[in-house]
Amino acid sequence: MSAGPVRQPAADAIVDVRSVRKVYHRDAAEITVLDGINLQVPTGEFVALMGPSGSGKTTLLNLIAGIDRPTSGEVIVAGTDVGRLSESELARWRSRSVGFIFQFYNLIPVLTAEENVELPLLLTSLPKKQRRERALTALKVVGLADRARHYPRQLSGGQEQRVAIARAIVADPAVLVADEPTGDLDAKSAEEILGLMESLNRDFGKTIVMVTHDPRAAERAHTQRHLEKGVLKA
Amino acid sequence: MKFLPYILKHLRRNWIRTGSTILGMAVCIFLFCTLRTFLRAMDDARTLGNVTRLVTRHAVSLVYNVPLSYEGQIAQVPGVKRVAISSWFGGSLPAKKESQDAQKGAGHGPDFSNFFTNLAVEDEPYFAMHPEFKVPDEEMKAFREDLRGCIIGRGLARQFGWKAGDTFFLESFIPPYRRRQGPFEFVVRGIYDADKVREPAADDRVMYFHYKYLYESTGQRVGAGLYVVELQEPRQAATVAAAIDRTFQNSEAETKSETEAAFRADFIAMIGNLALLLNSIGLAVIFTILLVTANTMSMAVRERRTEIAVLKTLGFTSRQVLGLVLAEAFTIGALGGAIGLGLSVLIIRAMTKAPGVSGFINGFPNFGLHWSVTSQGLAIALLLGLLAGLMPAVSAYRARITEMLRQV
Repeated sequence: MSAGPVRQPAADAIVDVRSVRKVYHRDAAEITVLDGINLQVPTGEFVALMGPSGSGKTTLLNLIAGIDRPTSGEVIVAGTDVGRLSESELARWRSRSVGFIFQFYNLIPVLTAEENVELPLLLTSLPKKQRRERALTALKVVGLADRARHYPRQLSGGQEQRVAIARAIVADPAVLVADEPTGDLDAKSAEEILGLMESLNRDFGKTIVMVTHDPRAAERAHTQRHLEKGVLKA
Repeated sequence: MKFLPYILKHLRRNWIRTGSTILGMAVCIFLFCTLRTFLRAMDDARTLGNVTRLVTRHAVSLVYNVPLSYEGQIAQVPGVKRVAISSWFGGSLPAKKESQDAQKGAGHGPDFSNFFTNLAVEDEPYFAMHPEFKVPDEEMKAFREDLRGCIIGRGLARQFGWKAGDTFFLESFIPPYRRRQGPFEFVVRGIYDADKVREPAADDRVMYFHYKYLYESTGQRVGAGLYVVELQEPRQAATVAAAIDRTFQNSEAETKSETEAAFRADFIAMIGNLALLLNSIGLAVIFTILLVTANTMSMAVRERRTEIAVLKTLGFTSRQVLGLVLAEAFTIGALGGAIGLGLSVLIIRAMTKAPGVSGFINGFPNFGLHWSVTSQGLAIALLLGLLAGLMPAVSAYRARITEMLRQV
């Protein structure tokens, strides 16, 4: 398996976005979603991306997570220029390097919490016993070891999001990206999730890039960056 | 293998839909295997048959008897070794089988549910030219000494629990073979074993009795149903058949002579183009199930667009996602195929014992679910599963994560 093109990121930046443009085509119209974005996120940083709807926050997050490609420019994450990887190389890279947290949790309803968390490990060569052990460890980190055998429908929204976070960290990725992780939660659950993310950043050294609309959530991050009409404001 | 629990859990997600699809697939494979078993049995009936024997019958139809005077003339045709009368009696047990009270038995109508083949034959030449029927000498002697005696196959004896010395009654539905005093009484004098190695078409569910008994009981008015002719040299079959038919050309009862295999084929052809009919039904069912399964898989994948996006986000490659969808469809095919095959085994076994149809079915040599039919059935089930999963799998393969997540 190819490790992908290794690029030198900006000093100490685990995420290095350079002059990125992203253009979508709708029929004959050309829509520029991101226009010349430059963003450096140092290792261990907790960054909140804010901005109005349609400003390009999620698109930028998707580029950093390697689930979309820039029209031009470079996105270097953990030393890899993700835009230059093939589809299958990119998939393997995602499984190792990035943990994704969705707004609506996106757990697989037919799998238990433990099986959901174990899912990314199915792509590794770990034996079943070790996979289960690591999944349980991840559930312990998010405080849900006692709910390992529960199905998503048996969990509250906050608990589901914690399981989703456990799934994001189980393969021990360097970077966590979160797309409005508290957007579907009540205030109390949102607070718990933000506390958990802070803990992952502080105690486990995870670099976190979070998209949010919520100013209170953004305050928990070390750095806040604002996007407007596809341009990153200072 | 590590993905198997994941696949099985998804199949259980909408168990009614999955279950009905699997059941549909099972019915399809069951029908295919059962129909193929019939077709195979018919093919066997056509192709199997001893080439050293000819069958000479009335040229117009099997319904008409051939004059008894022909026997001597056939025997004179060059290349003929032996000739034996064989008349299909068409007898059925009375509705209530009697072995002790003969008069009671005479009062009931025939019971067609227990129908089996019974032939009135000239025992000496007939058994001499059919060495595949093994009868102990003392039993054959007892049979020849008793006009009411009969020889039955081992399968028939097993079916009815008959043994040497047992008595039963048969009544024919063919008017010339019926008599005023009621059904014919028979005594089992021997049980034969069919040597299927020597003659694959040999049937052990037939009853043979003396033609003389039939002839005398019906007032000496009946002719021969047909003549079985043993050849001196198998290569002369066509020549001898033509010579026999030439002998009776322009007579009141012209004959048609052919090999046993050709005779069987003619007999089966009387049912009509059954092969075409059965094949058409089979194909229609398979095509329908393909559409049903494809629809199920498409719905399953469409409902799981977000999940597919999540899997890809987690690092599953497009090929792995394609593999998972195909494996799911393949599992439906495998489960449906296995259940369908199980059903076929049970139903085919039951048919060979069921009243009413067993008589017809047991007339086919080697009737049963053959391994080649089983393999074809399973292969079709798996292929149907794969074909049904192909389009949804390709759609999942091509799907872009961002587009699928945006549609949530």
